[in-house]
Amino acid sequence: MPTLDMEVTVNGRDVKRRATTQMRLLDFLRNELNLTGTKEGCGAGECGTCSVFVDGKLVKSCLMPAAKANGAEIETVEGLAKRGELTYLQRAFHKTGASQCGYCIPGMVMAATGALRENPHAGFDEIKERLGGNICRCTGYSKIFEAVELARDAMNGSLPTTALEGPGAGDSFIGNNVRRLDAPSKVTGALKYAGDMVMPGMLHMQVLRSPVAYALIKSIDISEAEAMPGVECVITADDVPGEDGFGVFVHDQPIMARGRVRYVGEAVAAVAAEDVETAMAALGKIKVEYENLPAVFDPEVAMAPGAPVLHDYAPGNIVKHIPIRKGDVEEGFAEADLVVEEDYGTQAVEHAYLEPEAGLAYVDPDGVVTVVSPSQNITHHRHMLAKIIDQPINKVRFIMSPVGGGFGGKEDMIYQGMLALAAMKSGQPVRLVFTREESIVSTAKRHPARITYKMGLKNDGRITAVEFRMVADGGAYGLSTEGVMRKAAILSCGPYDIANVKIDTYGVYTNNTPSGAFRTFGAMQAQFATESHLDICAGKLGLDPFEIRRINMMRSGALTHTKQKLGSVSLGLALDAAEKASNWESGPADVRGSSRSDLGKAGNREPCTLGSRIRASDGAGGKKDVA
Amino acid sequence: MLNCDQYLMPETLEEALAQWAGAPEGSRLLAGGTDILPWAREGRAGHVHLPVIIDISRVKELRGYDVADGRVRLGANVVFQQFLTDDELRHHLPCMPHCSIWFADDQIREQATLAGNIVNASPAADGVPPVFAMNGTVEIARLEGGSIVRRSVSSRDFITGPGRTILEAGEIVTAVTCDSMAGYGGAFEKVGQRRSLVISVVCAVCLVKLSADDKTFADVRLSLGGISPVPVRLDAAEASLKGQPVSRESVLAAVKTAGDLVRSRTRREYRGEVVRGFIERAIEDALADYGVALSPPEMKEAALANT
Ligand SMILES: Cc1cc2nc3c(=O)[nH]c(=O)nc-3n(C[C@H](O)[C@H](O)[C@H](O)COP(=O)(O)OP(=O)(O)OC[C@H]3O[C@@H](n4cnc5c(N)ncnc54)[C@H](O)[C@@H]3O)c2cc1C
Ligand code: FES
Ligand code: FES
Repeated sequence: MPTLDMEVTVNGRDVKRRATTQMRLLDFLRNELNLTGTKEGCGAGECGTCSVFVDGKLVKSCLMPAAKANGAEIETVEGLAKRGELTYLQRAFHKTGASQCGYCIPGMVMAATGALRENPHAGFDEIKERLGGNICRCTGYSKIFEAVELARDAMNGSLPTTALEGPGAGDSFIGNNVRRLDAPSKVTGALKYAGDMVMPGMLHMQVLRSPVAYALIKSIDISEAEAMPGVECVITADDVPGEDGFGVFVHDQPIMARGRVRYVGEAVAAVAAEDVETAMAALGKIKVEYENLPAVFDPEVAMAPGAPVLHDYAPGNIVKHIPIRKGDVEEGFAEADLVVEEDYGTQAVEHAYLEPEAGLAYVDPDGVVTVVSPSQNITHHRHMLAKIIDQPINKVRFIMSPVGGGFGGKEDMIYQGMLALAAMKSGQPVRLVFTREESIVSTAKRHPARITYKMGLKNDGRITAVEFRMVADGGAYGLSTEGVMRKAAILSCGPYDIANVKIDTYGVYTNNTPSGAFRTFGAMQAQFATESHLDICAGKLGLDPFEIRRINMMRSGALTHTKQKLGSVSLGLALDAAEKASNWESGPADVRGSSRSDLGKAGNREPCTLGSRIRASDGAGGKKDVA
Repeated sequence: MLNCDQYLMPETLEEALAQWAGAPEGSRLLAGGTDILPWAREGRAGHVHLPVIIDISRVKELRGYDVADGRVRLGANVVFQQFLTDDELRHHLPCMPHCSIWFADDQIREQATLAGNIVNASPAADGVPPVFAMNGTVEIARLEGGSIVRRSVSSRDFITGPGRTILEAGEIVTAVTCDSMAGYGGAFEKVGQRRSLVISVVCAVCLVKLSADDKTFADVRLSLGGISPVPVRLDAAEASLKGQPVSRESVLAAVKTAGDLVRSRTRREYRGEVVRGFIERAIEDALADYGVALSPPEMKEAALANT
């Protein structure tokens, strides 16, 4: 590996190190100097978790070859404050609760620091603009902007520094604005996520992934890869000693493809080597012979007779069908004055947590196989892994590292098994850090769904019957599909009291990327259809959208269509509050144009303007605010 | 990931040209690196190992800019952030702050060069339409028999297709020279999915200058990006506006001449629809920047109804 000698100043100290020509400044800081407060969220300039100052300018260190920074003065999040202290900005982030998972936070603090260095009087729009290159998936940004404004005012003296102190819990945690205990470790970059952790003798894993959607694996030849210097082990499905299979409900997914690959990006083999580059090079030496099978990418097609069957146990490709029946829908439709039928579609969505998957596994001196990872479900993972590696449960340990955002996407044991196997086979600690591309291609998405909604209503707006059919693309493996289908069925008709319902939700296997848990767990798809449908029906009946909901809403004591008795229902209160807060102009929603009184006027709620272009200049320093 | 056998950081143009002339096949020049590094990733070029990378960001002669004889000569290392923060550049290139504020983000703008944007020649490059509109020329240098030989090419001839330019082996872009547009009103419009960090679906640039009494168009510059393999200058629309009264009708008539410009591979219909409204808005915003309001929105609706 070609090298170069780096001489830089990092956080005020002179550093001389040999680097490789391949290193980006990000790698140099993280791997050579162990300054892991600078994170890699994307590696492509898109997220800002890697922001550092180079000669006083804020840059994305993933886009800068280390060599380019040679001779420069570098400042990272670790250098902002003295050990044990926090800068005004860091204190403000702590105060406003601006750090949640925390993975974006070091970069945010750097960008905010840059913003206030450039203009200590930066207005809201300028702050927004200057933080525009940094993405956060947790906070919705409001608390972050609030923190920057608070710090600015405290630094300028227009607010006392006590404004940065938290009010504390007082007598009770309830009703008091309590600061997060873990915020200081996040705003300083001190917190170690799995990808930041190192152990002596640690190996680096890279994963060979399927380039085809559906194929038989005729053979895998790992001999050449195994023989490479620096490679400690190569693992495939053959290395699984126990009963292979994981999943949140059905255990249909092998640790690595076994006999067949079922989606592009599925793990086929993995290499553990002394460095990432060697592991990556070894992947190129693994020879896999595939025989393509006819694949299926549409769940409706997968459900039809004659479709390719993905899993032998499920001949109709159904992961789960949840039927619910209440009353008699035919009678309900007969009774209706109006019957409206529409189709709704939702797409796959990636969680895009800022922390790509990462994990570290080792076998401890007592033979306990230990996996450290940001798993959202360690207990279940532990039980599954024990079976897979054929060990008693007390020989398997899962440690949950800080989760840099999960949103459901880290419920699946998608890589922890490979780490465990490699640690067992090599006898050394093994770490795997996904690239963003790998995370997107191989991990679960929100279920894309197609929903057919048929609703019968009386002229007064009362719903007489609902027929709801949802076909969701579960992708190649079951993961959380069963639960998602259950929840979608339970919440299919929304919070409305309907006498006659016929509900069917189907989770279906296809050769697409697997779908899994994602915030709302099936409710979003169902609610999108239900609420859109209600608006359409209200329009057709000339009713106010709030009104049609009030007419049909469940009230305290209602029995849901799954026979759950609701002691208290606050929907009416929520509707009243929403109506009031939006200054809603009553009447059917679709009959007024731009003249309506609840749009864009003083006192109305502003639409969300994040990402919109800034308009106003904010005075003397405002020359950077153009347009 | 991007790797190389040698990473060179020349400090003079001559040094850079000599290294570039002697570099083995497959070597690359690197300025800000904001195109090259993301290119060397999975799904695009993947893992790339180059013989030599010549980082030209420390070459003295490529820094800074000069203004002379109504032209602004931008050294190849001028980065997008300078168009926002440098008052003299703002004065001479009034469309560029608008272009830059839409370009990537604060941090990338500190690294990304206009020259790199032009050489990269993406159909969606935001820097190219303004350079076309400002009669930009690209200055190129190479070593011949030990001395530096230069040539200049119109920016419109420089780019020949997506990712393709007329640059030849051993050549380095040393500067981009544009008309000084001091006194013009400038605007840049962009459609993308969010404000920061977004590649243009369509972008448009407009520069306007009016007659002394503000009644007629004295000069209009218009070009569009993202709709065809190479951004286009709207010569016909520009010509149709010159000498015309400043009115919504003149603008709409000019917009019509933009007709079927859209030649992109994807979302053609959508882009087509966007383009017409877009050019109109670009002209309107450039006029606003000039200090003249086109006509109030009610009149705009009426004018639209008449077309
Ligand atoms: C997150 C992100 C967001 C982005 N947003 C935008 C955007 O909004 N709009 C947009 O247009 N682009 C955008 N880009 C693309 C990129 O930033 C620009 O194209 C930039 O201007 C490239 O300049 P550079 O100096 O970084 O080029 P480099 O990556 O260094 O080089 C680009 C190409 O030009 C060549 N080159 C550079 N300088 C010279 C020279 N002097 N002579 C000859 N060849 C040369 C290089 O060899 C290379 O082929 C974005 C990129 C990223 C990563
Ligand atoms: S911007 Fe550098 S890691 Fe995302
Ligand atoms: S706190 Fe910003 S990504 Fe989690």
